[in-house]
Amino acid sequence: MGIAEELSALRSKALAAVEMADSLDTLESVRIAYLGKKGSLTAVLRGLGALSAEERPVVGQLSNEVRATVEAALADKRRSLQATARASRIAAEVVDVTLPGRVRMPGKSHVIHQVVDEIVETFVGLGYQVAEGPEVELDYYNFTALNHPPDHPARALQDTFYVRDLSGERAVVEGESDVLLRTHTSPVQVHIMETQKPPIYVLAPGKVFRRDVADPSHLPQFTQIEGLVVDEGITFGDLKGTLEHFVKRMFGEDRRVRLRPHFFPFTEPSAEVDVSCGICGGEGCRSCGGEGWLEILGCGMVDPKVFGHVGIDPERYTGFAFGMGAERIAALKYGIPDLRLFIEGDTRFLHQF
Amino acid sequence: MRVSLKWLSELIDVDLNVAALCDRLDMTGTKVEAVHATGAALDGVVVGQVLVKEPHPEADKLSYCTVDVGTDEPCSIVCGASNFKAGDKIPVALIGATLPNGMTIKRVKLRGLVSVGMMCSPTELAVGGDASGLLILPGDAPVGVPFGSYYGLSDTIIELEVTPNRPDCLSMAGVAREIGAVTGRPFRTPASVPDEDGTPAADLVSVRIEDPALCLRYTARIIRGVKVGPSPEWLVQRITAAGARPINNVVDVTNYILYELGQPLHAFDLATVGMAEGKSAIIVRTAREGERLTTLDGQERVLATDTLVIADPDGPVALAGVMGGEATEVSEKTVDVLLESACFDTSTTSRTSRRLGLISEASLRFERGVDPELATRAADRAAQLLAEVSGGTVAPGIVDVYPAPPVPLVLRLRGDRLREIVGAQIADDEAATILSALGMGLVPAEDGFDVTVPTFRPDVEREIDLIEEVVRVWGMERVPSTFPGGRERVGALTIAQRRDLVVGRALRAAGLDEHIGYAFADPRDMERLGWELGPDEVPVELINPMSEEQAVMRWTLAAGLLRVVSHNQRRGVSDVHIYELGNVFVTAAGRKQPKERLMAGGVLTGAWQRPAWNESARPLDFFDGKGAVEVLFAELGLDKVTFRASEHPWLQSGRSADVIVRGDVVGWIGEVAPQVLDAYGATGPVTLFELGVKPLGKAGNVERGYAEIPRYPAVNLDIALVVEESVTAGQLMQAMASAGGKLLDDVRLFDVYRDPDDASAEQRRLPVGKKSLAFSLSYRSNERTLTDEDVRPVHEKLVVKVCRATGGEIRG
Repeated sequence: MGIAEELSALRSKALAAVEMADSLDTLESVRIAYLGKKGSLTAVLRGLGALSAEERPVVGQLSNEVRATVEAALADKRRSLQATARASRIAAEVVDVTLPGRVRMPGKSHVIHQVVDEIVETFVGLGYQVAEGPEVELDYYNFTALNHPPDHPARALQDTFYVRDLSGERAVVEGESDVLLRTHTSPVQVHIMETQKPPIYVLAPGKVFRRDVADPSHLPQFTQIEGLVVDEGITFGDLKGTLEHFVKRMFGEDRRVRLRPHFFPFTEPSAEVDVSCGICGGEGCRSCGGEGWLEILGCGMVDPKVFGHVGIDPERYTGFAFGMGAERIAALKYGIPDLRLFIEGDTRFLHQF
Repeated sequence: MRVSLKWLSELIDVDLNVAALCDRLDMTGTKVEAVHATGAALDGVVVGQVLVKEPHPEADKLSYCTVDVGTDEPCSIVCGASNFKAGDKIPVALIGATLPNGMTIKRVKLRGLVSVGMMCSPTELAVGGDASGLLILPGDAPVGVPFGSYYGLSDTIIELEVTPNRPDCLSMAGVAREIGAVTGRPFRTPASVPDEDGTPAADLVSVRIEDPALCLRYTARIIRGVKVGPSPEWLVQRITAAGARPINNVVDVTNYILYELGQPLHAFDLATVGMAEGKSAIIVRTAREGERLTTLDGQERVLATDTLVIADPDGPVALAGVMGGEATEVSEKTVDVLLESACFDTSTTSRTSRRLGLISEASLRFERGVDPELATRAADRAAQLLAEVSGGTVAPGIVDVYPAPPVPLVLRLRGDRLREIVGAQIADDEAATILSALGMGLVPAEDGFDVTVPTFRPDVEREIDLIEEVVRVWGMERVPSTFPGGRERVGALTIAQRRDLVVGRALRAAGLDEHIGYAFADPRDMERLGWELGPDEVPVELINPMSEEQAVMRWTLAAGLLRVVSHNQRRGVSDVHIYELGNVFVTAAGRKQPKERLMAGGVLTGAWQRPAWNESARPLDFFDGKGAVEVLFAELGLDKVTFRASEHPWLQSGRSADVIVRGDVVGWIGEVAPQVLDAYGATGPVTLFELGVKPLGKAGNVERGYAEIPRYPAVNLDIALVVEESVTAGQLMQAMASAGGKLLDDVRLFDVYRDPDDASAEQRRLPVGKKSLAFSLSYRSNERTLTDEDVRPVHEKLVVKVCRATGGEIRG
């Protein structure tokens, strides 16, 4: 048998062996048997050197063809065996996708702080900065500088928490102490205006305290957000536009806003701001007490007397201020029936928002 | 302020329906808090006419009547009264009506005859005291109309929220004036001129004011020969609608004038007021040390020396502006009345009323400000009314002490300033119309008006107050909405504020929920926790706490967090992992305001989640808390943090550590000591930590620079070191860090092994009292791929140094 026939026979045998292989391992042994260092096809190729110069190119070409054919067959078979193996592995790895996932919940921000953060974001977007002040305040900042007369009822012991003053000073106002837990965030206004020249655009969120028994609609400690703008040419219309923008962003574009004249000692003119009831749309229902409106904040133009306390010229500068309770806004926004939930720390509540 | 619309209609013709009126009041600054319909109690009672009256065949005292009640068919009623005849108009309660006494009218059979209603007496309808017979109505009473509206019982009461700056709206006349101004309708001011006779008042009474700053005006009128008794029905209806209880005709008249004009009045029994120089002598003065007065409510009160009293020569007879005294009270025996109509200082009244816990309709008005000009007008009207309802005679003249009548304030309103502040084009003449309607006098000036403020508007003191008046009536809803146009503003958070946000975000990422707790604490928390404040530090004490449990300000977040654990556990929630960012407070002798420190606290107990099909619920312990804290430090860019074993009374010994940053203790972490868990009713293990946010922020670096990502692979080598129990992981890692040189990139502890306590000698794999810690060490260069030859000498040197430093041995 000539070498050409030998090659031909090897090709047939090799291709048959490849075809027979039923696993990647047997396929590999087929490859080694024919194309390995000691493989039968390799041995034939090695014998090429002994051929005559006329035979060599012909046989050489043939042997390359055989080798290429076998290699291609090996590759094809490998791909097909790999595909089969993968398919069976995939079949074995099927899961019930309705089984629950492995959950590690991130912690939740308190709903009050979510509300505060949203408000802060809105006003930072309007060019405001954020300010803080002490929670234990002096009567001067909480009342006097905000134009509360000395006998203002809010100063009474039944409304405001007073703190033991260890400085040895005798208090002017309540007889015992002029150090108190701030009853609103408005004293931050005074601190800001004492230390900063206009233009002033600030928002001051923080804890405030009033002597109310904790019940579904009262807490002795709650969260207020104060806003203050002092600049040249600030108008009541600016206040109105700013608060309308805020309320619509907070509660939705479809809600209506109204400013109702009111009285606060440190703003003039003053107003309360109502938002149309989200449940009845302003028709009047149980949730808004039949009024169609829900009161959400107080505001007004900074009273010239307040400017007087901090040395800002009220003829040159005007300003507005507003304040709102985060608990009330959160309660309205999420329909929370009892304010005490905010402060008790029941994790089933904290997780909801 | 309760406003009867029926009463109001005598003072102003309002051309709006109730809803529109309320809306207009809301939008001009007088909020309507509630609207009630009254007279509804007599629903089902109508005016009827007796058509036929026959004796009842079975009963002498009853009659059988046919009564027209305005329906197609007259009805049959059996009646026991005898004071009527056929043709009389009477009130008839129809089937289903419920009378004020609670009786509901039903169809009944009386001695065999059916009765389908009841004819009523004044008592049955609660409109009078006569129970002897039916209420016979005038002949022109319209048959079939509801009795309540015919008899004037139906009314609408609107409750107004009058803001503290508007004392002028605490009267019917004031409300009428306000409504007139906001609706553009004319209003009527009630006034009377008394018919006077007899000895002039000035001969009967003298008045002296000791301190005119505390009493701006005091007037006295005398009404003689009164007969004290019940008030007529119209008067009772009026004061009842306003919210008062009828007492007697004299007191009721003073209340009537208080509600009608806003002038508090007081009636003294003239005979009980002490005399001086032949006259009853009224002295307005402050109380003397130790003086006492028994007030109308029967309480004896010790008076402070700044309390303003009405006195006679023998001593105080009334608390000025707050409450009268028992001894001079008008009674059935009273014949002559001294009527006080005065104006007392706002602060003095408010202090007295608050100190004595006495809030009256009078004190409410005086502490907000009563118009001194009103005193005589109110006295005249009250005197005349009193004479009418009590049959008395008004003594001629009024004793009026008015040391310094106020000069009306004149304010300039600049039109341009008005428009600048409001941001709306309000024309000068529109502003003028509004102010005039509010009772202000206007004179044009070059840039606006000079406005004379009436004395009943003490709140209007400055131009800005006039602007407020204009804009509230002109309409805030008409002001165009704009945004401030300031050019020099930038909205941003400060670095400290962003740091606080990072703290919260990191702790939430670590799995903790945010809590906001009370800033109050229980002073007994000190003992429960075994806490000791720093030298000289004391808790911040509240003078008027709500309760003993909230009597001080918290000096740590720990107690509040433990209370949350217990609150949840009591409700069956065992997995609690929360944090709080909040201030704690301490003070010291000599300090006015306390120190406020922002702290981050956390508490962990239970598990991260409930056990699931593919995970168990691993109980949280010290290292979960420490892990959360480590996440926080990583996020704050803090790397040089050490945890040093420490002892704190509220933490379990051996499971607590101080957290040290750059040599300073910035906080602590540990598992809560068993006795502390008991004190708070919590079940452990509970891990608690508290860190000062400011020192963390200072040491941390939220805005750090770029560090190159490793380009070459690391060579990882593991070693297990056998050391004495007393050697800590921290010491080993410290030793490795200092021995590893530049190439040591990372050290990771991956196993801690101890022989079990009950292991036998053969089972033991370590010498007694030792433990094995296994570390994976990564060596890496930034310049090239390291070979074994590079690393081996470094690693061998490290092993030798670490063993020498810690007494450890390589585990074979």
